[in-house]
Amino acid sequence: MKVLTFSWEYPPAKNGGLGVACFGLTRELLAHGVAVTLVLPKTQETRGDARILFADTERLVKMGENADLLFGPYNQASTMIESIIGYDATGRPIYQARTILEEAHRFAHQAALIAKMEDFDVIHAHDWTSYLAGVAAKISSGKQLVLHVHATSFDQAASDNVDPSIFKIEKEAFELADKVVTVSNFTRDIVVNKHGIDPHKVEVVHNGCDAEEVRELVPTLVELKRQGKKIVLCHGRISIQKGVDYFVRAARLVVDVDPDVVFVISGWGDMITQVIEQVGAMGLSENVRFAGALWEEDRDRMYQSADLFVMPSVSEPFGLVPLEALQHGTSSIISKQSGVAEVLTHALKVDFWDVDEMANQILSALRYPVVREQMVTEGRLQLLGMTWKIAAQKVKHLYQHLVQYAVS
Amino acid sequence: MLTVCPYFHVHQPYRVKKYRVFDIGEDTEYFNDASGTDLDNRYIVEKVAEKSYRPTNKVLKELLDKHPEFRFNLSFSGTVLDQFEAYAPDVLESFQELVATGRVEILADTYHHSLAFFYSVPEFKRQVQKHERRIKQLFGVKPRVFRNTELSYRNDLAKWCEDNGYLGIMSEGWEKYLGWRSPNYLYQPPGCSKIKVLLKNYKLSDDIAFRFGNKEWKDWPLSADTYADWINSHHGNGQTVNLFMDYESFGEHQWEDTGIFEFLKVVPEMIMRHPDTSFKTATETVAAYESAGEYDVPDILTWADTERDLTAWIGNDIQRDAIKAAYSMEEDVMKTRKRDLIETWRKLQTSDHFYYMCTKWSNDGDVHAYFSPYKSPYDAYITYMNALSDLKLRVAHVLKDKETVLAAAEQKIEKTKETKPEPSDQVDIPSKEDVEDVPASPPTEPDPGFFKNAWDRLKKIFPVVSPERKST
Repeated sequence: MKVLTFSWEYPPAKNGGLGVACFGLTRELLAHGVAVTLVLPKTQETRGDARILFADTERLVKMGENADLLFGPYNQASTMIESIIGYDATGRPIYQARTILEEAHRFAHQAALIAKMEDFDVIHAHDWTSYLAGVAAKISSGKQLVLHVHATSFDQAASDNVDPSIFKIEKEAFELADKVVTVSNFTRDIVVNKHGIDPHKVEVVHNGCDAEEVRELVPTLVELKRQGKKIVLCHGRISIQKGVDYFVRAARLVVDVDPDVVFVISGWGDMITQVIEQVGAMGLSENVRFAGALWEEDRDRMYQSADLFVMPSVSEPFGLVPLEALQHGTSSIISKQSGVAEVLTHALKVDFWDVDEMANQILSALRYPVVREQMVTEGRLQLLGMTWKIAAQKVKHLYQHLVQYAVS
Repeated sequence: MLTVCPYFHVHQPYRVKKYRVFDIGEDTEYFNDASGTDLDNRYIVEKVAEKSYRPTNKVLKELLDKHPEFRFNLSFSGTVLDQFEAYAPDVLESFQELVATGRVEILADTYHHSLAFFYSVPEFKRQVQKHERRIKQLFGVKPRVFRNTELSYRNDLAKWCEDNGYLGIMSEGWEKYLGWRSPNYLYQPPGCSKIKVLLKNYKLSDDIAFRFGNKEWKDWPLSADTYADWINSHHGNGQTVNLFMDYESFGEHQWEDTGIFEFLKVVPEMIMRHPDTSFKTATETVAAYESAGEYDVPDILTWADTERDLTAWIGNDIQRDAIKAAYSMEEDVMKTRKRDLIETWRKLQTSDHFYYMCTKWSNDGDVHAYFSPYKSPYDAYITYMNALSDLKLRVAHVLKDKETVLAAAEQKIEKTKETKPEPSDQVDIPSKEDVEDVPASPPTEPDPGFFKNAWDRLKKIFPVVSPERKST
């Protein structure tokens, strides 16, 4: 079984859940005898054993060093990124700003060429920035196409007010695909109900979570803890999708009851100014700290030092962060509007808009430490069963099914 | 000669409503959900009355009228009796009619369906006594055979029951303790000389209680005929077949459409078709047969799950934390001598609260095996602990007020008797009502006459007290 996979992100580049998920899935597919050829839009350092092609190498057009793909797939289609379109006589690159939408089309153009050259049985494309590439590869090769939905335009908009150009790509690509895989039932419902896709075509494959060897790191926020403060952490992109504004409103209710609670918001995003202003307006400057975007060890130290983690997302297709927090020994309150709520039993769950209940859960969890301890002990056991291996087995089965019934 | 001893357990807890941290110190009502959902106690009692209690009692009454030899046993928690009285008095009356036939025996129990025996024997004893008074008041009978919450049992419980005059006690007939022996005989607990243990025949009991409507079961659909044959096959290798189950098996656990009522209507007759088979109540069974040997149960045995232990109630950390928190309040709660506080504390001892916090199923994914009105075990725990925190506050307030009053009284006596009298809001008189459940001198009370003396002294200082102020 050979699969041609398109993704916009891949580790070790600092990025969101998409890269992490592609990596985990690819690694386990390889382990299960699936030969994965991964196509990425931009030359980058990569991790793991997959055979990798860079679309910008193929067309001899590179994206600029400063091109920030970090939040790329999650921004509006019109977000500008810098690309190298060629080189001048002295060998210096010529940059041109293009929209992500334009880049996605260019990626698709290259995908069609790559698909003609490569040998494979099935195509797998991750998220909207790669859907066009997947469709192009299908058209040029006639092979079966799987689209993998890690997020939709509805999640990014946190409402029905979606980016019309992204929605158009999603809907048309889903209709052309042979299978659509979503990371949760939550997302499946969106694809079926909002995009109007035939439910029989949409399968759920929950994300896995890699069991990591967690080592104890040097604690952070030591001074606050020494003063007897309790730390409640929210970590993620600060955008309308992540519901940080609801977290701040719950914080106000918590602090009214217990002034010794400190809320740490770690992350960055387009809503940061609004959230900082909200904190000021609600008189929470003493109790809310902004930690900036944290990665790797800094992030893990924060997970370990926090007493409680909150994921208040308005619309979260999966949501890996509570599982990461759990690995570092911190229990979570998670939004019911998330995919992870379908698979993690050992967490408190709340509707993102119910700030009263969110505050109640924060206060109660801090008040009764036994509940946090038990969610960690039992949650960690449950984590052992959420592996990429299980996800990869489902995906492999799906490939086999498609190839078997492919009309050639 | 083979006799059948059926026993149906009737129980409903007082479920704690959605109670948040913000409610602590603000809201003293924990059980008054009126949302028409599964947290609404009145709604549940009315629903189960319609599905189970009314139709089942109708069938049972017909059976008693039709078959003079038909007999069975009932056990009630006090919490279900209180709720019948408040929400479905006709159901209570129909139970009274059954008991009035003289062929329906009522078993002894804890009033609050609690696990008190394993946490506080004095509190356990008070609940058993309260239950006995309530049964006497409503049914005019005195229970002689004991059954404990969730059929939980241990050697020392049997000993306690013997010492307190019970003739029999019920337990699970479990291979671990029976070995090769049959549950269809009476046994004797070690260290006891009079009391006998009646063992549940779990196979025949669970055929009705759990498997009856299960279409996957190899014996589905079960006819009364077949079932009677299974019972009568014990002739020659048993004396009593003890069928113990939740009363709500009829109509609530096994819905009407499974045919459970049709089954119940005819099964006694089918069983008695065998000329040598009849029915006995628990007391009659204990009087009729001798012990066949010793039943030695050093660890807690229950009728639950494949483990037959208490892990569904106290198997995880939040459950153990919650139950420990409840029982650690005993001394202070009893010291208040406030009837409402004591009663609320006891309602919070009902085993169901801890069952809702069970996480056993999360490992095998069998969510439906453990029904709960809460969204998760963690929600159940938080709700419970918040309510308990509020009760703790109320108890502390009462105790502090008592101290203040006493201290003030002492001071005034020492000073002079000319002090101008003040309104006596703070005074709480331990009326007969308040202390009804409290023994005259509980072991935790250092000085039984303490409050009374103080009151006598106070009365000397303030001769006039308006009667409305007597209770707060």
